[in-house]
Amino acid sequence: MRGARAMTRALVLFAHPCAESFSAALHGRVVETLTARGWEVDDCDLNAEGFQPVLTEAERRGYHDAGNITLVQGYVDRLRAAQALVMVFPVWNFGYPAILKGFLDRVFLPGVSFRLEDGKVKPNLTHIRKLAAVTTYGGTRLRALLVGDPPRRCVTRAVWHVCRPDRMRYLALYDMNRASDAVRAGFLDRVSREMKVL
Amino acid sequence: MRALVIYCHPNPKSFTAAVRDTVVAGLERGGAEVRLVDLYGERFEASLSATELTDYEDEAVNCAPVQAHVDALRWCDTLVFVYPTWWYGLPARLKGWLDRVLVPGVAFRMPDVDHADIRPGLTNVTTIAAYTTCGASRWLTALVGAPGRRTLLRGVRAICARRCRTSFAAHYLMDSSTPESRAAHLRTVAARVDRLVGRPARRQAAAA
Repeated sequence: MRGARAMTRALVLFAHPCAESFSAALHGRVVETLTARGWEVDDCDLNAEGFQPVLTEAERRGYHDAGNITLVQGYVDRLRAAQALVMVFPVWNFGYPAILKGFLDRVFLPGVSFRLEDGKVKPNLTHIRKLAAVTTYGGTRLRALLVGDPPRRCVTRAVWHVCRPDRMRYLALYDMNRASDAVRAGFLDRVSREMKVL
Repeated sequence: MRALVIYCHPNPKSFTAAVRDTVVAGLERGGAEVRLVDLYGERFEASLSATELTDYEDEAVNCAPVQAHVDALRWCDTLVFVYPTWWYGLPARLKGWLDRVLVPGVAFRMPDVDHADIRPGLTNVTTIAAYTTCGASRWLTALVGAPGRRTLLRGVRAICARRCRTSFAAHYLMDSSTPESRAAHLRTVAARVDRLVGRPARRQAAAA
């Protein structure tokens, strides 16, 4: 471990608009467990913060320029301050909710999440040593596998690639629509256990 | 053929706009009826709101916020997506189109007492196509698993007609593209579209 650093700082990205949802319960559990183990938690509820997910024409034109960070400076600072990144989201249509996809589009910029060297993507979020996703699927695991499970690949390959973390967990509850109370409670407990040792 | 083209790029002068023009021209040349949706042009709202999610399964009202899109989706037999690949996936605005328009009762039917799993709702769609550009190489895109392509050509295809045809083309390494590589890609797209309009899609009745 890095002894010089007193406290691990985690950025929690949450992407569900409804407070009564199971995703919100998972989000609550993540924040609570990480805080209880002494981590400093930066809790970013994208819907509550009114995050604008659409990359604009001006942003697209300036994407590779040095000034590309200006419009999302606050989010870039929060990302750069994190040693752990935890994404809590429902899978909709085999992908992230648009508001979370937009976070990648607008904040994971060149010079922030990656550097282009000789046309190759070099990881630039290597201060993030722990990466986790906590998610729910409407469909079954088999259905997700048949489609190729795009959100799992997005986290465990695309986001992993720019962080190169020491530890990564992808926690998924499939077949949400038919999950009993007991199954959901079991998944909440699993999330607690995993967050204690992330 | 009734083709719905969903186009999503912020810059009207982008290469993706040229791909869109190639697609529309090819479809029209083949005699297809074409409806074009320009998501940036109409400032399509990307985020599914709390209200929409509360009404999500209420088929009496869940289409209302996006009725024109639902009507176009029900009208078409061919669904074509033209977009840039960002972070190996769809731009947020296009992902938001899926989130908000592919609602229960339109895109799929929720499980009920007689049916254990989700059932397809877009059985009118017999062809689905994606034409995109990628900053990454073909190799890196394959290594990541091409999540954007899979979301559309496997995920959305799964709720379309049985044996729905697919068509795909991508210009990789977009940041080091040349006028020649871009022209060659437009020819590839034109050829794929010719194939779409030239060969009739297998009908669902024949497939079943």
